[in-house]
Amino acid sequence: MSVIAPKFRLGYFLKGIFDNAFWILTIVTLAGIPAIQIVLFYMDLPVIDGELLTAFLAFTWLFNPTMQIPLIKSLLYSDLFRIVVFPGFGFAALIAAGTIFVERKMLAKLQLRVGPFYCGKIEGLLQLAGDGLKLISKEIIIPAKADKPLFWAAPVLFVGTAAAFVALIPVAPGGWVVADLDVGLLAVFAVIGFFPIITILSAWSANSKFPFIGGIRALHQMVSFEIPLILSLLGVVILTGTLNLSEIVESQSNFPWIIFMPIGAIVFFTTMLAELERIPFDLPEAESEIVAGWLTEFSGMMYGLVQLGSYLKLYAFAALFVIIFLGGWTGPVFWPPLETELITKGTPIPNYAGDPVLTVFAPGLPLFDADPNEWVKQQQGELQYTSGQLLISGVIWFVLKTVAVIFFILLPRGVFPRIRLDMLLHIGWYKLIGLAFVNIFIALGLVYAGVLGPGGIM
Amino acid sequence: MTNGAPDMADALFLAISVLTIGSAIAALEMRSLVYGSIALMGTLGGVAGFYVMLDSPFVAMFQLAVYVGSIAVLILFTVMLVKRELIFKKIEDPKRKFAGIGLMLITILALGAIILDSGVKTITTDSDPVDFREIGGDFLTYYWPALILMAFILAGSVMGALVLARREDTIENEQ
Repeated sequence: MSVIAPKFRLGYFLKGIFDNAFWILTIVTLAGIPAIQIVLFYMDLPVIDGELLTAFLAFTWLFNPTMQIPLIKSLLYSDLFRIVVFPGFGFAALIAAGTIFVERKMLAKLQLRVGPFYCGKIEGLLQLAGDGLKLISKEIIIPAKADKPLFWAAPVLFVGTAAAFVALIPVAPGGWVVADLDVGLLAVFAVIGFFPIITILSAWSANSKFPFIGGIRALHQMVSFEIPLILSLLGVVILTGTLNLSEIVESQSNFPWIIFMPIGAIVFFTTMLAELERIPFDLPEAESEIVAGWLTEFSGMMYGLVQLGSYLKLYAFAALFVIIFLGGWTGPVFWPPLETELITKGTPIPNYAGDPVLTVFAPGLPLFDADPNEWVKQQQGELQYTSGQLLISGVIWFVLKTVAVIFFILLPRGVFPRIRLDMLLHIGWYKLIGLAFVNIFIALGLVYAGVLGPGGIM
Repeated sequence: MTNGAPDMADALFLAISVLTIGSAIAALEMRSLVYGSIALMGTLGGVAGFYVMLDSPFVAMFQLAVYVGSIAVLILFTVMLVKRELIFKKIEDPKRKFAGIGLMLITILALGAIILDSGVKTITTDSDPVDFREIGGDFLTYYWPALILMAFILAGSVMGALVLARREDTIENEQ
């Protein structure tokens, strides 16, 4: 007879503890410590004030008030921080989480429902955390006849590709982007091209009819809408003469391109909806026809990963729209830039006799200036503001615009029905491609008339 | 690359070569056509890696967007629409296999000997990589007749394909 829980004995209990301790010590000694040493060997340690920042020095400086800001700055301007936290994954995941919550509440309000309500006392704020916990704790079920390697790889690849897309998005002036490529826009097209492959492979590997139908639909939709997507952005490339996304934003310091390229913006927004598989183009996940489309067989955290990837993709597409048509981070500066001397030299305050008794330093924004030389450049008139002073207002403008675009992406879900497949392809191949060409001809006209563009007045 | 000492670029070149050639062999030899086309994607992506190593990210991105993003998807799509029995049916003939391998080795050796003999390997240059803006400028100034000709040929072939694929027996639905 087998027992699920054997009878408790102190000897077994102690033996279990000793066994675990033995194996942990063995594995840490044989594998963990060498792994840490290998990582430390190849990691570039930052140099602060001429001293190499080792782990011991970091702990020492943690309790030294004068060295805390340089310490935090050295972490803030490391590549790891960029990839994991600010312009990269963490920032995008935060916006994605906010998007999911806003989507559920806003849809509910549009359809005169309540939406998430009980979890977290106030308007269901903690519903998302609850859903995440549920997904993590659920069992991952894989269909018996599925192609297991591909089925396992698909969600991870999906999130990875979405994160690669996020990495190309510049968020604030001064190079706040994970990968600042000269061919940034082309890299975006290359990354977008991977989504249909992953979708169709995951659909095929599930070996079930609903995912396969959904995957074939997704393939049709994504491949045919990639063409107007690429064509609609070419107008802006012709006018700016660059493919670097940061330079495209900087070219819009006077006016956003949507003023001259409204047709391109409309085409790009429509194709964006189709690439994101959102209503009215949600045929790949049509829940009233084919269960959940290509997501049908995913369960537990695999489903969670695919959802995370699709919302990261949503953020990245909205941010791309903002960067190309709405001027990215440009906008009125919220945080008034201080005179440099107030920060570096301070203001001497005299007593009644006119003798300076104390000097007051304005704090400025010490954390956000990557390069101290920027202050010198600002004094010489080469730079208008230092990047630290522009960071906060830039990020605020970028997030405001991105959230507005995300709102307009979410809005059709409460309003429109799903369109038919033939109508979808008709729109994609006849109307959107035609409109995209009209947009390119407008851009060419503006360039050759000498109004805008590389040889124009602006 | 001084004095022929191996450096990071050599290791990277070796890794990408192994990836490219290995997945090319896998693309031919895999029993499953779907895995074969995934291996083909690996080959095309490896070629894109070579372009990145040669300081031409522009061509590399186009390689990824066009070949991995579109051509490989088309192949995958076609493979998935083929009947299952046809996917797994294969004519086994060891003689033909060995003949093929021998032919491949002879071809590679001959080509390699020609390339090594031609003196290409001795060319060293320190000039900057070509800017993609110059490539675009060349396309629009010197090479535009060829570009227009290619566009017409492509448009003609698309129209021909549409005419061939048109079915007379279905009535067009009005919305």
